[in-house]
Amino acid sequence: MKKLRLFAFAILLLVGFIRPYAVYAGFPIGKYRDLVVPSFNYYSQTNHYDVYGNYVKGLPGARYTSMSANLYLGYGISRRLDLIVSVPYLYQVNTISAGKSIISQGAGDMVAGLSYNLVNYSFKRFLSVQVSGVVPLYTAVSGTSALGLGDYGTEVKLMFCGTLPDFIADKGYFNTEAAYRRYFNFQGPDQVSFLATVGYPISWHNQVSFDISVMRSFSPNKSFNINYNAERDYAFVKPQLNLGHTFTRRFSMFVGGYYVPYGINTGLGYGGSIVAIIKL
Amino acid sequence: MKKFSLLLCFTILLIAGNMLKANAQEQETAETGDIILKPTPKNENALFKKNEEIVYNLRIQNNTNQYKEGKISYLLTTDDGKKVRLDSVHLAIRGGATKEIAVKLLPKPSGFYHLNFMVNTGDYDDTVRKVFGVDPQEIRSQLHKPTDFEAFWKQSREQLEKVAPKYRCLERKDLSTDRKKVYAVEMHSYGDLVIRGWLVVPRDGSKFPVHYRVPGYVVALNPNMDNDDFIAFDLNVRGNGNSKDVISIGTDNYCLVNVENKDKYIYRGVYMDCIRGLDFLCSHESLGIDTSKIFVEGGSQGGALALITAALDKRVKLLTMQVPLFADIHDNMNISSSYQKQVFPFKVFRRYNDMHPNFTWDKFFSTFDYYDPQNFAPMVKCPVLMGIGLLDQFCPPRCSMALFNHISSNSKEYVCVANSTHEVDLNYFMFQNLWLREKFRIP
Repeated sequence: MKKLRLFAFAILLLVGFIRPYAVYAGFPIGKYRDLVVPSFNYYSQTNHYDVYGNYVKGLPGARYTSMSANLYLGYGISRRLDLIVSVPYLYQVNTISAGKSIISQGAGDMVAGLSYNLVNYSFKRFLSVQVSGVVPLYTAVSGTSALGLGDYGTEVKLMFCGTLPDFIADKGYFNTEAAYRRYFNFQGPDQVSFLATVGYPISWHNQVSFDISVMRSFSPNKSFNINYNAERDYAFVKPQLNLGHTFTRRFSMFVGGYYVPYGINTGLGYGGSIVAIIKL
Repeated sequence: MKKFSLLLCFTILLIAGNMLKANAQEQETAETGDIILKPTPKNENALFKKNEEIVYNLRIQNNTNQYKEGKISYLLTTDDGKKVRLDSVHLAIRGGATKEIAVKLLPKPSGFYHLNFMVNTGDYDDTVRKVFGVDPQEIRSQLHKPTDFEAFWKQSREQLEKVAPKYRCLERKDLSTDRKKVYAVEMHSYGDLVIRGWLVVPRDGSKFPVHYRVPGYVVALNPNMDNDDFIAFDLNVRGNGNSKDVISIGTDNYCLVNVENKDKYIYRGVYMDCIRGLDFLCSHESLGIDTSKIFVEGGSQGGALALITAALDKRVKLLTMQVPLFADIHDNMNISSSYQKQVFPFKVFRRYNDMHPNFTWDKFFSTFDYYDPQNFAPMVKCPVLMGIGLLDQFCPPRCSMALFNHISSNSKEYVCVANSTHEVDLNYFMFQNLWLREKFRIP
């Protein structure tokens, strides 16, 4: 009977963490499995923080709006090794004043790399490392583009995720990521980011997750750009709340909203995302 | 600032990871006694290579507040009790103190070895038993396969096919939930005996792979409500669970029913019951059964039954088994003869032998060679996962590995759980779940 209980417990644990929002986190995708995650993001800002972190009210009628679609693909090469590719497409409207706008659109920075599961703790928690390359899919004119920095880069990310410890909750999952990204330009930037996510099922098919991300981008170029994709030295904190629904074993969707309550040399705005998770 | 931020992020991750790991380790080490011996193999699964030095770290903890003096020794034997090495060192340890000794053994040939660590002081003795393996995938055993083995089982299948199954499949609303339908299943099997089982079908989907579970030794299987991605089919073979209409025998005698007659031995019907269970699954696709994705699973006797089902019937696409009983029965007999105290199954067979002077071991094997799971192993072609416990005396690791090495599937894996007896651990089942998802491409 002990064996049957263990079997059941193992299934419960597995089910507990196989449907997280942060599927493209440190959870191994699994050998031969494919993951397709299309998403749509909206962001809008009128005000910003200056280089000292002071709140600056935007000019009347000025607004920066970004809409982006992103396609994330993951493939499990082995039980530990995954191939990941992420391709964004951006549509941005920068309204400088009433009736005067600059629109930019196109593919952004592609991120492609390999994720390797370093350690699994009884298949309940996973410590993984991801090494990626950043490739601009647009042409920067005179070194500038509204779609990104226009530079190649590389990123190393350490991820720790899994089921929540029993002393916190009997179900749910967490994900933590610490990343360092370097763009190959004399101005950098060097970027350090941290992400923490906690997800909890609220019913059989629904879950809520909360994540907070902290980003710091370092560069000798301190100039402010209302379009954060194109600036180099900034920082922000971004909490986000998500609601997820599992339609089938292969298809889930998440809707989330966020706000930027604090930043340095960056916009003060809000946004939302719709994410579909398709497991093939 | 930049370097500090980076360092901080990575430190938080690593501390969190190590805290969780340390917490898990502390839970494993709750032991009592005056002096605690805790031997830990260098390789976590206690498996070594033939050319590899065998190293154990022996932690000695004096739980009293008194100085203790005595002897620490270890005895290394083969798994059938032949002494390989005995060595000892003087022990002197203060009250409350802890010491560690590295025990190093020269590389050994392929096989399993028993390593007993002993502590002897004037007023305290204790022994901790460990087993390690050396290249178990190289263990070979002799097949004692009767020449008419295939014909015997072909004839058994033919006899089964002559029995009209008369399936009954009734929804049990009292056991069903809003997520799963439970069916009580009944069918006629070999010898026209009625056997029963439980079918649990998830409601949120139209077609599911099947987890077909066969029972341990006289163990009742009940509806399996835990599996959300599979249809769970739990079959009680004759004499098990709710299939006791004709045969209702306790554990002491179940495996002895007609043991002197290969044609009437109880396991002939039992093995055919497992095939009849497959017949049921394949004739009820309308219930959402994906007959192209049937995996059969069992532990102990169930492990043996699962293997035999996969060997005899190609409708099984995956096999997982834990601690398969009766495997390599000849070697099992030799190994068990070295035990100080007899355990199942040879405890039962030896008792029968003692009570029946005309029942020779040759006679026993003339029956059992038709039923030894090892003889079925070469017929298994589907992917296989096996889990064993190294401290298992019912199913000695050597016998399980001998069986495993005879399996002819080119996709087979095994997991050794170093500190388990006749069972595997949660880690194994977590891996098994992932393994099944990988093989069936389940999201």
